[in-house]
Amino acid sequence: MQLKAGRDGDDRNDSAGRAILMAALALPGLIGVAGAAHADSAPEQGSISLNYLDYRDWQPGLDRIKVHTPAIDVLAPVAGVWAVQASLVSDIISGASPRYHTAISGASSMSDHRVAEDVGLTRYFPQGTINAGFAHSGENDYQSRAFSFGGSLSTEDKNTTGHAGIGVSNDTINPVNQVVNDAKKHTLELMLGVTQILTQNDIVQADLGHVIEQGYLSDPYKFLDNRPDERSRNTLLLRWNHHFEGSDGTGRFSYRYYTDTWEIRAHTFAFEYVQPFSQGWTVTPSARYYTQSAASFYFDPDYDPNYGPPVPLGYVFGSVSSPDQRLSAFGAATLGLKVEKAVARDVQISFKFEQYEQRCDWRLFGSGSPGLAPLYARVLQLGIVKTW
Amino acid sequence: MSSDLPVFGIEFGAMASRCEVRLAASDEAAARGLALAAIAEVRRIEAKYSRYRADSIVSRINAAAGNEWIACDEETAALFGYADALFDASGGLFDITSGVLRRAWDFRQAQVPEAIILEPLLKLMGWNRMEREREGGALYVRLPQAGMEIDFGGFGKEYAADRAGAILFELGVRHGYVNLGGDMRVIGPQPDGQPWSIAIQDPRRPNAVIAAIPVHSGALATSGDYERYFDLEGRRYCHILDPRNGMPVQYWRSVSVLAPLAIAAGSHATIAMLMQEQGLRFLRESKLAFLAVNQAGEIFQENAV
Repeated sequence: MQLKAGRDGDDRNDSAGRAILMAALALPGLIGVAGAAHADSAPEQGSISLNYLDYRDWQPGLDRIKVHTPAIDVLAPVAGVWAVQASLVSDIISGASPRYHTAISGASSMSDHRVAEDVGLTRYFPQGTINAGFAHSGENDYQSRAFSFGGSLSTEDKNTTGHAGIGVSNDTINPVNQVVNDAKKHTLELMLGVTQILTQNDIVQADLGHVIEQGYLSDPYKFLDNRPDERSRNTLLLRWNHHFEGSDGTGRFSYRYYTDTWEIRAHTFAFEYVQPFSQGWTVTPSARYYTQSAASFYFDPDYDPNYGPPVPLGYVFGSVSSPDQRLSAFGAATLGLKVEKAVARDVQISFKFEQYEQRCDWRLFGSGSPGLAPLYARVLQLGIVKTW
Repeated sequence: MSSDLPVFGIEFGAMASRCEVRLAASDEAAARGLALAAIAEVRRIEAKYSRYRADSIVSRINAAAGNEWIACDEETAALFGYADALFDASGGLFDITSGVLRRAWDFRQAQVPEAIILEPLLKLMGWNRMEREREGGALYVRLPQAGMEIDFGGFGKEYAADRAGAILFELGVRHGYVNLGGDMRVIGPQPDGQPWSIAIQDPRRPNAVIAAIPVHSGALATSGDYERYFDLEGRRYCHILDPRNGMPVQYWRSVSVLAPLAIAAGSHATIAMLMQEQGLRFLRESKLAFLAVNQAGEIFQENAV
């Protein structure tokens, strides 16, 4: 049982400085039976297990340290040196209250299909990951089971990350008005995207999505709502986040293009600016402009003179149709302001004000659907968020 | 070949934190099995020393304060011995009976408790007052006064990280780490021999980091003033309380320490926070690598000697 001699001269400070470490090493089972690198320190496990009474009698004197302790240096961490910089790339983050999303925010719709069970599994490769998940959710009129499979691939410097995913979900719809019973809906979702760190303050992201839905797609709570039983959707989403060093604020710009087989085409332009202030306050003004064309089977409020509303002119019973204003052609603008205050690490109070206006003649790239009154909405939202 | 082993990450929740076990294993089934063994150990420790379970050893000792003697098993006795070492090394600042101050400080409200509330609580503290007797090979303990309480929250998470890491090592894991809420024990480097890059969270910006260190093996833990706190009139009141006056410490924003064991790393970090300005000398004397950020945002760092 060979032991390393302590350093001469500053043994007193050395032993005081080492006292905690030696006490920690005395706790049983923290090192592992296979032990430290040296074979001859394995038998020391027995003599290492001092119980508390022994410790209290034990004074950190020169001789007793040398007799009882193993070669601490054998167990010393093997590590490099500190690099002090605001680097965005690392394997793990150590903190008193860490946030477990990666420094590169690669949120996508796939994250909605995360595993609902306690343990999620990801497989890591040198430059990427693969993950698989199962999620199950249910409300009284809507049950959903979803499987997802996805992965990411990064360049060596981790400034560029590509991500891809597949999701499959099977839903069962049982509306309370019993218009249908056990209606099924199957969804296949494909996603491909790339995130690029341009500078210390700029991240851009592009995402392509393709969704195929089959089954019951109508709104059971709307009369004469009979939509096709199939829909394919494509989206392109471009985002740019810029951090302003002077003000410590962040600007977020995004553009989204949407098209589907119901002939809806939509564009969304959005911008928000997050400005933190002292004492935990954050103010976020936002603006959004949205324009869409109508679905092919949307019908204008031009009612049949014989049947009257809500039956449209020339309606054939059982045909595909929908009066849903959300499928009409229109443009809409939203202006918003959100004020948040962090009351403690895990509690945040927020107040959000949004003014939304939708008008058929605000539509870009074409004319809006006639006969619809403008829609106004004002949203006031007070929130308290506690995270854990 | 070891370098070809795939790496898996298993995330779970425990000890009120997001946790992760990352390790190299032959396949997914093996990874799950290994991770479940580590998770089971973390949950065992969480349950055994929980303040919220009436049947835990901690709750029983607290309920019997000023009254009965409670028998302790060897693991608990060993942890009491460790608490002794921390109490001595910190000059009484690290005191596992200081949890009573929770009754005065509710960090969900931005309110500083009055001295009249703190005074009686200060009288209910003092780790050196805990009574102990060995009888028939078992250790019996008693808190001398009703209202006193102990808890292992000061090093429970780091202890569990070390135990889980040791179990994985015994099960043959040579590449990976156990990360419990930001306190981690690294068992071994990545399969290709590359170290893990561990970054330190910016104590004032949740989504940013301020430094990083590459680690092949060892443990890293961080203590900070941003875990539970409130800000009032430009001053931060955090959950790390000086047992002498019941008030939060103020000097450091965060302290991170690299040590052979997570429990040692975490204890050094917490004691440095408690010692405030004297914490820097304490860290230097430990000869461990550390990185500390003071209230002005200045960074002090030392690499291992």
